Amino acid sequence: MTTVAPDRIDLPDTGETHEVDRAWQVVVWNDPVNLMSYVVWVFRKLFGHTVEEATRLMLQVHHEGRAVVSSGPLEKAELDCHRLHHHGLWATLERA
Amino acid sequence: MSTPFTRKGAEVRVRLDADSRAVLAALPELLAGSDDAGGRLSYRVHPSDAEAEARYRDLVGDSLDDLRREDRSTLTRSCGDATIGLEEAEAWMRVIGEARLVLAARLGISHDGWEEEADPGQSPEMALLGYLGYLQDGLVGVLGV
Repeated sequence: MTTVAPDRIDLPDTGETHEVDRAWQVVVWNDPVNLMSYVVWVFRKLFGHTVEEATRLMLQVHHEGRAVVSSGPLEKAELDCHRLHHHGLWATLERA
Repeated sequence: MSTPFTRKGAEVRVRLDADSRAVLAALPELLAGSDDAGGRLSYRVHPSDAEAEARYRDLVGDSLDDLRREDRSTLTRSCGDATIGLEEAEAWMRVIGEARLVLAARLGISHDGWEEEADPGQSPEMALLGYLGYLQDGLVGVLGV
């Protein structure tokens, strides 16, 4: 089956930005219990960071109290948060 | 003390005596009886937006509890095995991490640096916290990514 695609579709420009399209940041907060080695492993496992980047983020969390570990649309950011919580890390969301 | 975990391809060989395995087997019970002091296992995603938090809670439902229950079942099922798969090892690692959070909350640990003054002889909880850290670090070492 074939269809003829229209050359162009004009959508009204409402000037609105939908909530789900806005960028969100996933923030991991320092906690005194999780092992540094485990936190590095989680960052690598969940976000595919190199060991150097994961270690840098872990140290930022440790020394500065928090670090942004990923970002994206709300749905993705909430999923990332959920996965971090499953691994026992303290994570929240912020608008980018 | 010999290394408790060694990697062999897609499996992890477990070298733990019966007492250590009994400690692991008891973790689900320890967690089930936990009141999650300090909210360490129920972090909020949108801490300053009650409406967004309610929407998120509605979206995820009980999925986090389900995942944790699955991890604990995996540990219960496999804690007597001589070798475990990588996914089983990850589940062990998460349950151990949860137990450490609960133990730390019971001990009132809330700031970095507590390890420097920690005395395993202080209490059974402190001894267990230290031992579980040793096991979790061992699993991190063999799992890689």
